[in-house]
Amino acid sequence: MLLLDIKNLTIELKTPDGMIRAVDRVSLSLREGETRGLVGESGSGKSLIAKAIVGVLNKRWQVTADRFSWRGQDLMNLPYEQQRKIIGRDIAMIYQEPSRSLDPTAAILDQLEEAIPDNLLDGPWWKRSYLRRRKAIALLHKVGIRDHQAVLQSYPYQLSEGICQKIMIAMAIAKNPKLLIADEPTTALESTTQAQLFRLLASFNQLKGMSVLLISHELESIARYTQSLSVLYCGQLVEAGETAAILKQPFHPYTHALIKSVPEFQPDLLAKTPLYALPGSIPVLQHLPIGCRLGPRCPNARKECVKTPALERLQNHYFSCHFPLTGKTES
Amino acid sequence: MSLLLEVKHLSKTYRKQTGLFRQRSVTALDNISFSLAAGKTLAIVGETGSGKSTLAKLLVGIEKPDQGDIFLGGTAVKISNYRQYNHVIRFIFQDAAKSLNPHQKIGQMLDDVLHFSTILDPQQRKQKIKHTLKQLGLLDEHADYYPHMFSGGQLQRVALARALILDPKLLILDEALTALDPTLRAQMVNLLLQLQQSSGLAYLLITNHLRLVKHIADDLLVLHQGKPLDYGTTASVFANPAHDYTRKLINSALT
Repeated sequence: MLLLDIKNLTIELKTPDGMIRAVDRVSLSLREGETRGLVGESGSGKSLIAKAIVGVLNKRWQVTADRFSWRGQDLMNLPYEQQRKIIGRDIAMIYQEPSRSLDPTAAILDQLEEAIPDNLLDGPWWKRSYLRRRKAIALLHKVGIRDHQAVLQSYPYQLSEGICQKIMIAMAIAKNPKLLIADEPTTALESTTQAQLFRLLASFNQLKGMSVLLISHELESIARYTQSLSVLYCGQLVEAGETAAILKQPFHPYTHALIKSVPEFQPDLLAKTPLYALPGSIPVLQHLPIGCRLGPRCPNARKECVKTPALERLQNHYFSCHFPLTGKTES
Repeated sequence: MSLLLEVKHLSKTYRKQTGLFRQRSVTALDNISFSLAAGKTLAIVGETGSGKSTLAKLLVGIEKPDQGDIFLGGTAVKISNYRQYNHVIRFIFQDAAKSLNPHQKIGQMLDDVLHFSTILDPQQRKQKIKHTLKQLGLLDEHADYYPHMFSGGQLQRVALARALILDPKLLILDEALTALDPTLRAQMVNLLLQLQQSSGLAYLLITNHLRLVKHIADDLLVLHQGKPLDYGTTASVFANPAHDYTRKLINSALT
C-alpha cells in the first residue's frame, strides 16, 4: 500500500503582483519502507513540499492538490484537528540547521522529554517521569551518543552541529514515525559525520521499516542511500523513478546536466578538465519562464517548450519533457 | 616553475584567559610547511577545528604567526608590508551574498578596492573595472547594480571580480564552492580553471568537499587538530594515504 500519495500538489504565494506558483503540480508517492530522495537546487521548492506535507506552512501559502492521501486516507477532506492528529502521530521531520531549530533556552533533556508522547510510556502514572527519562537516554544511545549525561544537561550552543543533528533525529524517532522527512540533514556537517548520519538513517529504515524522504541539493551524496529519486527544477517535477535507472539513463536534460556536472559520476573525466554546465542561472520566483521552466537554459529547447510538458511514464520511470534524451518513440 | 608561496614551520597558539591568573592555550596550527607554485592548486582539507581558517588568516595577514615564516616569491613576508602584499594574495569568502555591502553599488565597491591599494587615476580605475567585469563574463552596466539585483551565480562572479581586480597571483577560496548549487558550482569550477590556464593564477582551496578536490587540486594537505597529516600530490594521497584519519576521510567521501 502506498504510504503517502500526492498528486498535482500546487503551492502558491499571494503577492501584490498576483499569484506566484512556487510548486507547480508535483506528484510524489512513497511506499512503506522506501527511501526516496528529493533533489533540486535552491529555490526549486523542495523544502516547501516537505513543509506542505507536515502542514507547517503559514497562511500566506495556498496549498492545493488533486489527491493527498496518507495510508489510503484522504487528508485534504479531513477537518484540521484530525489532520494534525494523524500527521503528528505518523510523520516526523528533521529541519535544516539543527542548532537553530533547537530551543536555545532549554536543556537538551527537557526538549527531548517533551518529544516523547505519553502513549509510548507503559507504566503507572507515578513512574512516568522516571520512564520518560529512561526513554530519553535510550533514544540518545540509539542515535549513537554514548555520553548521555553530559549531552542531556547541555544547551544547544554548547554542542557541535553533528551532535545537534543527532539529537534532532532522536526527537524525530521518539514517536516511532512511519515517515521521516529529512530536509538537507547534512549541509552543516563534516564529511565524516555526513556518512555516519546517512548510515544511521539507513539503519532505521531497515530495522524499523521507517520510510525516509531525503531532501538535498547534492545528487551525489544521496544517490547512494536512496532507492528512488525525484528531481525538481524550479518547482516542477522533471524526473522520477528508481535511483539506479535514473543515474544510468536520465531522460530529462536537467537530470542529465546534474549528473554530468558531478566529477564523481564521470570516472573517465581527466582532472582539471572543464565540467559540463548548463548556461545561465536559476530564474527567480518573480520571473519564471512560462511552459517548461528549464526552457531558457535547455540545450535542446524548441518551440514546443513554451507549453508545460505533461508527466509521461515509461515503465517505472516518470519524466516531463517534450524531447527526452533517448528511449521515447515519437508520438 | 618558480615557487610562489612557501610556508615553513608555521605555528600559531591562542591563549585564553580562564581565571585571574590561569591561562589555557590552544594550539591552532603546529609546524605547518608547504609550498605552492604559480598556476597550481593546493587543497587544504580538514574538519572544523583543524586550523584551516587560522591558516588562511595567517596567510592574508589578519593575524600574526607565533613561529615560522611565509615566503612570497622568495622574500619573507612581514605584517608591515601588508599593503603591497595584498595585491598578490586575495581572499574569497564563503557566502558571496553576505560578504558584499548591500548599500554599495558594485562599481563603487570595485573602485574602493583600487583606490585603496593602487595609484591609478579615476579614468584608469574605470577602465580597469570595465576590463575585469568583462573578463568574468559580466556587463558594463553591472557596475551600477546593487548586490541584491544579482542572482547567486552572478554574485559569485562579482566576489571573484573584487578579488581579481588587483591581478593577484594567489587566490584563497575559503569554502567558496561548497554551498553552491551543483550546476552553478560546475560553472564556477570551469571559470576558475579557465582563469588558471589563461593567467597562471594559483589557488589555495580550503574545503571539506573531497570529490571536488580530487578534480581540481594538484596538491593536497590534510590537517587534523592543527597538525599536518598527509601532504603530496592529490593522486598520491588518494591512492595511498599514510594516516588513518586521512583514510577515514577519503573513505567517507568516496565510497
